[in-house]
Amino acid sequence: MIRLHRVTKRFAGGTEALRNVSLRVDAGALAFLTGPSGAGKSTLLRLIARLERPTRGRIMVNGRDLGTLARHQEPQFRRDIGLVFQDHRLLFDRPVHANVALPLEILGYRRTEARKRVRAALDKVGLLQKENAQPQTLSAGEQQRVGIARAIVHRPALLLADEPTGNLDPELSREIIQLFLDFNRVGMTALIASHNLGLISTFARPVLHLENGSLEARHVTQPRSTA
Amino acid sequence: MKDGSDRAGHLEAWLYNHSEAARRSLWRRAHAPGQTLILVAVLGFILALPAYLWLLLDNARALSAGVDHEPRIALYLDLEGGETLADAVARIDALPGVAEVAAIEADDALAAYRESLPDPALLDWLEDNPLPAIIEVLPLERSPEALAAMEQQLATLLPEATVISDHEWVRQLEALHGAGLRVLLVVSALLALGITLILAVASAAELRERHEEIAISRITGATDRFLRRPSLYGGLLLGVGGGLFSLILLGIVVMMTRSPVEEAALVFGVPFAFAGPQARIGLMLLGAGLVLGWVGARLGSAAALRD
Repeated sequence: MIRLHRVTKRFAGGTEALRNVSLRVDAGALAFLTGPSGAGKSTLLRLIARLERPTRGRIMVNGRDLGTLARHQEPQFRRDIGLVFQDHRLLFDRPVHANVALPLEILGYRRTEARKRVRAALDKVGLLQKENAQPQTLSAGEQQRVGIARAIVHRPALLLADEPTGNLDPELSREIIQLFLDFNRVGMTALIASHNLGLISTFARPVLHLENGSLEARHVTQPRSTA
Repeated sequence: MKDGSDRAGHLEAWLYNHSEAARRSLWRRAHAPGQTLILVAVLGFILALPAYLWLLLDNARALSAGVDHEPRIALYLDLEGGETLADAVARIDALPGVAEVAAIEADDALAAYRESLPDPALLDWLEDNPLPAIIEVLPLERSPEALAAMEQQLATLLPEATVISDHEWVRQLEALHGAGLRVLLVVSALLALGITLILAVASAAELRERHEEIAISRITGATDRFLRRPSLYGGLLLGVGGGLFSLILLGIVVMMTRSPVEEAALVFGVPFAFAGPQARIGLMLLGAGLVLGWVGARLGSAAALRD
């Protein structure tokens, strides 16, 4: 699903966020990406979602070589990816259900079908009763779960989460990670960045450790057991 | 499409998508009433101005037609060589392109002149009638070129006659009208360019206000076409508003200027009714509003989405 080959990312100004990173995550796998802040976790996720381009190296996602992906092909490419942000990035000018429906609207779903899927996604994150609420009336944990519902509502093949538990208390954090495990169980490949080593060590899943922009070459396969 | 590939479903999704975009742009316009009103008013003024000028030109043309709508050619004949006026009339009548020929004998002309004098006896001391016979020719075609050609033809036919035509006057009027139309066209084009840029800037600013929504949508795979759709609907909305406003404005201005123009025409001895805007002008204004609104939004969104 994800393959990086000797990827380096240097930002304007000379900061090297990633150095010679190689990695492979198979379809259907779930892996955690850890490392201190500033280690390059976000950059790595942004490269995979093609929100950034690498300075050097090759990235393959979902069978596509991002080096040959034209700008007009980017929207189509991103439709197979769900992204969860630490700051959830909800739109405060519309209610919860409209936030979650955004990817479906972009994909051109019919209203009735979209409504069904939005309700299913909200049900999965336990917020069905809040579908008509305004996002600003929700707690931080609820907002994060709305962000997750939005990321998975169109059933993307790949889920990328950048510090999804960053602002949450331990119990909520566990629930959120458990959600990702549930999605993974139905076939969604997932890469979850988190600096909370204590939390992720309690889940028996592969951990990729990023430090100073470097990562040992790693290969993450399908889980042996389903948690 | 992930939810079935039936044609009706596609159409329904497409319609839903567009109606959502239209609804959202309406909502956004309604939540910025001040800005919306200003844009509609500016567009309305800019559409109404050339429309009013056009109306004036059109009326001026109708007015000139009222003054003299039949350009005649007059021939002054000195009948000496034995030819009668009737002969000359018959020869002219036989020419192609002649609609009407009228003749006035020299004696009739003198008699009419005598009538008009306060003291007809004044003319008694004349030995001969100094007035020529007159033939008035009305050509079928009234373009300046046709008049000039007819004038030439008559001069060849009756070399001894003096041919005088008012086609110069018609030509001058046509030239003035043409120049007026050209000025109107250039002024309209400049105004259209100006308002398009204003609408483009407004549309770009609105898109920049939506930057968070656009960023999220992009990440989820939205195309530029999808992202600019609400702006395009917004542009069309402003266009309709501007078109309607310009119509109202035009109606008011015509009402305010109608009677002075008609009175001025009466002073010149021409009864004249100032014609107001017709349905055609209304449709043109609405159409122009829609086109300008759409083009402005398209330019603005292209600029904003490139950033």
